[in-house]
Amino acid sequence: MHKIASVEVEQNIMKANEALAEKNLKLLEDNNIYCVDFVGAIGSGKTSLIEDIIENVDERIGVIAGDVISKFDAERIKSHNAPVVGLNTGKECHLDAHLVEHSLEDMPLEDIDWLIIENVGNLICPVDFALGSHMRVVVVSVTEGDDTVEKHPLIFQTSDLIIINKVDIADAVGADTDKMVADAKRLNPDVKVITSSLKEGKGLNEIIEVIKEHKPDNL
Amino acid sequence: MHELSMAQGIFTTVIDTAEANEATEVTKVVIEVGRLAMVNPEQLKFLLDVIKEDSIAADAEFQINEIPVEIECKDCGYKGEVSLKGLDHYAPIIRCPKCDTPRITILNGKDIIVKNVIIEIPDEDNNN
Repeated sequence: MHKIASVEVEQNIMKANEALAEKNLKLLEDNNIYCVDFVGAIGSGKTSLIEDIIENVDERIGVIAGDVISKFDAERIKSHNAPVVGLNTGKECHLDAHLVEHSLEDMPLEDIDWLIIENVGNLICPVDFALGSHMRVVVVSVTEGDDTVEKHPLIFQTSDLIIINKVDIADAVGADTDKMVADAKRLNPDVKVITSSLKEGKGLNEIIEVIKEHKPDNL
Repeated sequence: MHELSMAQGIFTTVIDTAEANEATEVTKVVIEVGRLAMVNPEQLKFLLDVIKEDSIAADAEFQINEIPVEIECKDCGYKGEVSLKGLDHYAPIIRCPKCDTPRITILNGKDIIVKNVIIEIPDEDNNN
């Protein structure tokens, strides 16, 4: 004979990630490191922007390059003499705090002032997963279509800076940059929306300024 | 594929609970999925049904209850539920129902919670 029992579990699957993210943040702050994570679709220009930031910011920057196969992006970052940890997610569509925790073990924390985390190219799945950063930057390019912002509200509502990239070729791809900017401002009126063309260096200084402004004073 | 890692997280919790309570079988699992959690309940259920094979939860029913969205408005201070009726988007633009601003904090509706695990345990009185 058996009896039936109902066990109250109340286990929040998402909270486990949040707790790990807080642990990552504490480890970074204990090492006086400012952490920014970049999200955006495949080909939006995340890696190029990170390369530009490394070249133009006078801080020692380390990078966690997350991708389904990370070695390509990691090689690009490495060519700028920045410490980089490639994070292969394989089948996973986003980074989570647990994966970042392991990558931090391989990052020379004493040798860096800023940590940049490049998420997997995806505008949907990363929304739910805090990583332990101080700031989230979302990069969207005009080539993705000018309805991309309004179609993915949560990622834009939860980011601290919105970058509309590749605006130099908006006409060629039939994208209305103004619409993308308006959609972004409507979704998240509290953050800066910057239009950029990294190929031409347009917008880069402003992006760097906003990222610097976001840095907590104690770091 | 993001539902798979969620399903694995849920499944681990279920098996840990079952083992901690010396269960012989898991018959039912009640899960709450927030309406704004970036997972599709149908996919999640499908994957749980795949993962559970050959485990003590092989015959378990996974019941998924969607939980509504609750917000706090940064402008007018409204605190409470937001109806998503009439919004076709799975991840809609959430606005304050009182003053229509998108400047809100989501208080509830993003979580995935394993609520109850219904198990069979050996009856201690049954010694014959």
